[in-house]
Amino acid sequence: MIYVTDGSFEGVLTAVFEAYKNKTEPEDIIVSKDGYQLSLLPAMEVASDSEKSARVEKAIVEKMGREALETIYRAYLSDSPDVGMAIYNFIKIGLKTGRRVLSYLQHPDILKVHDMSSRVLKETHLFLGILRFRKLKNGIYYSKIEPDGNIIAFLAEHFAARLSDQPWIIHDAKRGICALYNTIEVVFTDEPIHLKEDFQDEFETLWKRYFDTIAIESRKNLKLQRQFMPKRYWKNLIEKQNL
Amino acid sequence: MELIEKLAILGDSAKYDVSCSSSGSNRASKKGMVGNTALPGICHSWADDGRCISLLKVLFTNYCIYDCKYCVNRCSNDIKRASFTPDELCNLTIEFYRRNYIEGLFLSSAVVKSPDYTMELIIAALKKLRYEHRFNGYIHVKSIPGADLRLVHEAGLLADRISVNIELPTVSSLKLLAPQKSHESIIKPMSFVSEQIQGANELTIYRKRQTFAPAGQSTQMIIGATRDNDLTVLRLTSELYKRYKLKRVYYSAYVPVNEHKDLPALNTSPPLLREHRMYQADWLLRFYGFEANELLDETHSNFDINLDPKCDWALRNLDKFPVEINKAPLEMLMRVPGIGYQMAQKIVRARRLAPLNYEDLKKMRVVLKRARYFITCNGKYYGGIDLDTDDLYPLLAEKTDPKVYVGQISMFG
Repeated sequence: MIYVTDGSFEGVLTAVFEAYKNKTEPEDIIVSKDGYQLSLLPAMEVASDSEKSARVEKAIVEKMGREALETIYRAYLSDSPDVGMAIYNFIKIGLKTGRRVLSYLQHPDILKVHDMSSRVLKETHLFLGILRFRKLKNGIYYSKIEPDGNIIAFLAEHFAARLSDQPWIIHDAKRGICALYNTIEVVFTDEPIHLKEDFQDEFETLWKRYFDTIAIESRKNLKLQRQFMPKRYWKNLIEKQNL
Repeated sequence: MELIEKLAILGDSAKYDVSCSSSGSNRASKKGMVGNTALPGICHSWADDGRCISLLKVLFTNYCIYDCKYCVNRCSNDIKRASFTPDELCNLTIEFYRRNYIEGLFLSSAVVKSPDYTMELIIAALKKLRYEHRFNGYIHVKSIPGADLRLVHEAGLLADRISVNIELPTVSSLKLLAPQKSHESIIKPMSFVSEQIQGANELTIYRKRQTFAPAGQSTQMIIGATRDNDLTVLRLTSELYKRYKLKRVYYSAYVPVNEHKDLPALNTSPPLLREHRMYQADWLLRFYGFEANELLDETHSNFDINLDPKCDWALRNLDKFPVEINKAPLEMLMRVPGIGYQMAQKIVRARRLAPLNYEDLKKMRVVLKRARYFITCNGKYYGGIDLDTDDLYPLLAEKTDPKVYVGQISMFG
């Protein structure tokens, strides 16, 4: 059986619940609808069910601990095409090994979820640094991001604490979602936003000049630079644009 | 002078300072203030030389009364000079911070008029930044050698981290290249800062607030400006960690900026690999339980440039290998070339679930290129050759060009 979810975390856990109830190993759990192509195998659409998913969550926390649930959730946020089955397999093994599941890295199914989760953690940390706000004429700070994982909620939490006295927008252009902050609270939306892209800001010029100045010519190492800051992220970095 | 030109001059003058870390401080946001600090630190960009940019690293001024031979800002150099006003500096910091370019400010300075006068300028600017601009982010301040300790104390109360640069590892090198700085003018504030930090730590217990440089103290040494060997640098490093409880010692491969008979020629390229070896050794001291005298001694006073220091050590201690991956204690696993701190911990946790074989290690992505010669899995050895220093050397050396063998001859010949 192939389970097709609505793409939510609740949906994935509901699918896991259904698979256990039917006592048959799923052929696949489809998380992203875009990636799903009709196949000859029997498929079943799973409607997210908060009660069923809560029961799976509870089982994970009781048997494997809170950290395991967090790891699974972060893996889900990686948006990897095969995350559905990876989570199912992780849970299946975890129900046997219990709390030690997170240490069981010699098992490929556990390693897979561990990797997905740590990619999300790493990318989140990177974006705390490389996210750039551009100051709009109306005083709002706007940031466009295109991360591999769905990390906007983590970023919003960080900046709501750090830059709490300025209104800002973080716009995940890849997923079409925005975090809006009005100096009081963060609101998430998938409504399209319209901005007049009018950035005229002397501090952008100053920053770029500083960036170009600080490198030591005789130590030039562009490979090392790309290693830390992969090229796919450059298009939203002020210092990497020709102003 | 335009602000952009000042920024270019004073950023350029500060770029040889290595430290850019914003770690070690964990201050929550406060109402009415801008910013907070993150314990692990955050890198915001990487410059074209691959070094991370975390803080706005600038000098307050590059007008200097000193004439240190290794320094680009020495007074006898004919270079462009500039000074920030406190407001310019505060605005740059805050505005960069609001756009998330930086974690905060790294403020150093050339010595203008006198060490005390310079230190007072720095303190005034930091006060403005903290109290008027309400900046709650990270500040790393450089203590000017020779400044009154009272001023050092005041700076430490405003900053997250404070540092005094040692620059040269021996008294004689300091005399040769920086005759106006005394050994004492460096060690005294360092020891004072160390006492203040520990004092603040003790206060924390009942006042619940640590105010003096919560991210600790660091320093920097130049590598390759003088003839000092790696052993001298490493011993001093170890001493600094132990005696003064420094958070970090940074190394800076000397970039020739001045022409002088006591200095390497201008066309010498910076000894980047040697600097890299020093950093590797520094990690071994701080996180791997190595002592300085295990890594280097009088008969072996420089790192082999072709080997990482752990391999270098392992080859001289082959009697301790191979170690059994399923039994060796964590401390010994960390000493296996190719197995890092985190991987050693993963191995220890994973082997509790099931004994690990060679394939398991591959799956866990242990880098076996070097490790395979130093381990057994369930008693089986996968290295394929005898544990012999001469045979292993070419397999472990990082470069396989003919120079490797030159290195080998000088090492064992």
